[in-house]
Amino acid sequence: MRMSGVQRPGLAALRRLVLALSCLFLADSATQAGELDRAGLARYFPPPLVVGEKDDILPVWPILKQQAGSYEVFAYAFESIDFAPIPGFGGTPPDLLVALAPDGTFRDVKVLSHREPVFLEGLGSEPLFAFVEQYVGLSARQPIRVGRPNARASGASPQTTVDGIAMATASTRTINQSVLASALAVARGKLGFGAANVGLRVEAKADLYEPLGLDALLARGWVRRLTVTRQEAARAFRGTGLEEAGEGAQDDILADLYVALLDVPSIGRNLLGPARFEALMRELGPGNHAVMVLSAGPSDAPENPLGESFVLGSVPERVSVGQGGLVVNARDMAVERRGAGLAEGLPAGDWTILRIDAAAGFDPSVPWMLTDKIVRERGQILSEKITRDFSVETTLPGNLFHRESAQDGPDWTEAWRARLPALVGIAGMVALLVPVLVWQRRLVADARRFPVFRLAFLAVTVAFVGYGAQAQLSIVTLMGLVRAALRTHDFAFLLYDPPSLVLWAFVLGSLVLWGRGTFCGWLCPFGAMQELIAWLGCPLRIQLVVVPPALDQALRKAKYVVLVGLLAATAAGSPAADAMAEVEPFKTAITLSFLRSWPFVAYAVGLLVLNLFVYKGFCRYLCPLGAGLALAGRLRILDWIPRRSECGTPCQLCKVRCRYGAIAADGRIDYPECFQCMDCVTIIHDPGQCVPQVVARRHAKRIVPRPVPAR
Amino acid sequence: MSGRVTRRRAVLGAFGLAVLGGATRFRTMAAARGLASDTRAGLAFGTTVSLTAAGPDRGELEAALSDGLSAMHAVEREASLFRSDGALPRLNREGRLDGPPPHLAALLAFALDLAAETGGAFDPTVQPLWPLWSRAAKVGERPDPGALTACLARIGWRRVRLTPEAIILDKGTEVTLNALVQGYAADVVMAALRARGIADAFIDTGEFGAAGTHPDGSPWRLGIADPRRKGEIAEVIAPFTGFAATSGDYNMAFSPDFSDHHIYNPATGYSPTGVSSVTVTAPSGLVADGLSTACMVLGRERGGALVAGRQGCAVRFTEKA
Repeated sequence: MRMSGVQRPGLAALRRLVLALSCLFLADSATQAGELDRAGLARYFPPPLVVGEKDDILPVWPILKQQAGSYEVFAYAFESIDFAPIPGFGGTPPDLLVALAPDGTFRDVKVLSHREPVFLEGLGSEPLFAFVEQYVGLSARQPIRVGRPNARASGASPQTTVDGIAMATASTRTINQSVLASALAVARGKLGFGAANVGLRVEAKADLYEPLGLDALLARGWVRRLTVTRQEAARAFRGTGLEEAGEGAQDDILADLYVALLDVPSIGRNLLGPARFEALMRELGPGNHAVMVLSAGPSDAPENPLGESFVLGSVPERVSVGQGGLVVNARDMAVERRGAGLAEGLPAGDWTILRIDAAAGFDPSVPWMLTDKIVRERGQILSEKITRDFSVETTLPGNLFHRESAQDGPDWTEAWRARLPALVGIAGMVALLVPVLVWQRRLVADARRFPVFRLAFLAVTVAFVGYGAQAQLSIVTLMGLVRAALRTHDFAFLLYDPPSLVLWAFVLGSLVLWGRGTFCGWLCPFGAMQELIAWLGCPLRIQLVVVPPALDQALRKAKYVVLVGLLAATAAGSPAADAMAEVEPFKTAITLSFLRSWPFVAYAVGLLVLNLFVYKGFCRYLCPLGAGLALAGRLRILDWIPRRSECGTPCQLCKVRCRYGAIAADGRIDYPECFQCMDCVTIIHDPGQCVPQVVARRHAKRIVPRPVPAR
Repeated sequence: MSGRVTRRRAVLGAFGLAVLGGATRFRTMAAARGLASDTRAGLAFGTTVSLTAAGPDRGELEAALSDGLSAMHAVEREASLFRSDGALPRLNREGRLDGPPPHLAALLAFALDLAAETGGAFDPTVQPLWPLWSRAAKVGERPDPGALTACLARIGWRRVRLTPEAIILDKGTEVTLNALVQGYAADVVMAALRARGIADAFIDTGEFGAAGTHPDGSPWRLGIADPRRKGEIAEVIAPFTGFAATSGDYNMAFSPDFSDHHIYNPATGYSPTGVSSVTVTAPSGLVADGLSTACMVLGRERGGALVAGRQGCAVRFTEKA
């Protein structure tokens, strides 16, 4: 395009910059949507599978399989990020390729992209790939939870549990949520079923009982009868050459099934009698269902589905329970099939009680079908089986049941329940720390016991806050907030890490009252680790390096530069942001407990060694989180570290003793640099150390201290 | 007449292709003839659809296949009942559609002409019968005769007025074009492929169209399913070019003996009892599809006469057993 007129070069440069920036945004927002095209999908579903045309409403690709010249649907493939962009540990949602079979089972789950730090830099991606493999064969109809590592081997239901990964609880939970939520969205849109039955608990009301005979139950439709006469069978098999089977009258009954849902007391108790009913309910357990099928037809007829071929304890081949067009998993309970059992009035015959697990998503309060397959064989040598289905529907009144959608609350509530001990521990630490800092004349003033308390507290910070509760606050959270604010508008990721969130809440409160030091000096595990190492290193008598004041001032500013760089990269959507966040050694030292590739370990250990020469050098000069907190700490309301008029002029004791250089020459506290170690407070309350007080006593002259805000 | 929801395979398609060992194999054979070939498959009209074509230029071939599929989806959006957001469901909901889209108008015009020609044996207004029958079939019953009579009062092709400006339905009337739309889609797809210079193609929209030859140079073959033995082929049409449509009682049967199914006699509200399936070949998919449905209702004699009057058309009947 030809531009008329002359543009000023400055404007042109600015426009180029804006264009470049918006390109960055566009590039990033593109990664928020699915990334695969036909060719990309074809790599995952190679021939003989054919990748169909993308649905024009939902971003779903049918994957088809050729069957005798025409095609049938093998799976629906989609990217989880299109349906459930659930932010991961660092705020970026993982993207999974999910293939869902038409019956709702997972055909395949693959990781397309993720930024989960624990896998990228710690464990490697293989455990994650193995993790998602576990979904293959599971059904999206059931709620699936992440168990402990080896949960399946140690008895958790393999239909509803996937093994978790140690140290990656938050990430695996995000992956699980992404898989399930996106699969449900697609199942609802393409397969005609959905969230309604997942985690649904429908239980028969136990106290609702009325004595009813078999005839009354049949009349109400609570027990259903399925009969197939010779004539009906012949009609169904018409055209197959198998119309006739055996000799007999047209209206002879070939199959005669009684079907009943036993866990409804008015049905089960009347059919089984009280004692058998109670025993069955105990065996069944709450939330599960039992369907009785009694075959009253001629027991030696090939049409008897519970005859010779029936295998005790199996999923029967010839009878099945279905609902909403899908077969429900129902297995014979292997209760003794003969003799005592079914009450008076029931016809004699073979019977089975089928168990339907609560997790199967079966809802007895809406219509369901029992289907009987009649199988006939054609041909003598290469015989061919021809099957015809006969079904009977049962519709029970809804008021016989309690319905409860178990997972009404989103999954994060579970995270909170599971982390309750950690939350209690963190609350306890805060409850201990606050009074100590508030009533400074008590413990803080005790020059002998206070350092012991402080070291013990820091040890707990490292062991419990850091390694135990995994609540090392991190710049990654701030970056996640920036991403959420600018692009995803979804802050839910915060809810998946309760201990950190609780700690953040306290830190924000303490920032406003006291400044950054409450966190940096007491609750940051890496900070505490440095202080403990410095204390342990005391016997080495290492001489701290004296940083020249001009250099010190410049280095202090460096951490703000790091912060701005990180947040700007994040805001611009630069993929480099995550790599830049590695300036923070927390992940290496705390989250992954140094189990990481050597450059990262060398960096973290290097910073700990540096700490022996330049005390807490990382915290003071580099830490972007500390910088962020220091900036926010400028909102601080209280000047709460006590000072005297003599502080600074003439006394320089505290300034010299401050290991952080956070006391100015004039005696003022530089709060953005103060780590609240309380050394100067201990001094000021110690008449033997605080120089003005010593001098005053020596001169036998009472000095009137300036009012000290601390109590 | 049909209100089918899931169209199972009426005809087994280009089964020669399966015999040859799938797409990869015939791609190689096409390449030997200096042609690029490809197959695309997808979902439309509640079933799976596929296009196979060959052409001298790979890029042009892919563009042609994409055009073909988007043409098919355009037809689906306008004239299918499977898309609740489509023009036809809207017409049925509101009883009136101003500025009818071209595919819908063309299909409806053909449907009304065929209805006039067959004395109402073909009728696009049988849609209200569908929910009545499918509800009854779910509980293993037939519809209540009273309800059926009430339903018949809402049926009749003269209750539809089509002008270039609008389609207007009498109260209670609902239109289905499911009996025509797949055959018509085959026409539209074939036209889209031809416009890109494709001479060899096989189209499966649920009904079938073929042009030229198989990419390996052999003629197209079309297998016709056995209406009673699922998955078996009763007859093979070879060579096959042009279009073919099959109507049968077995696709969406309401009763195990196939006496009640998704094709209705508009006069009685019950399914016609004469034949179990009809296959019509014709120079147009629309004509093939319309005639096959009409023949189900008319039976062998009158249906045969109807087809005989059309140039280039042939019909095969399978009697009920």
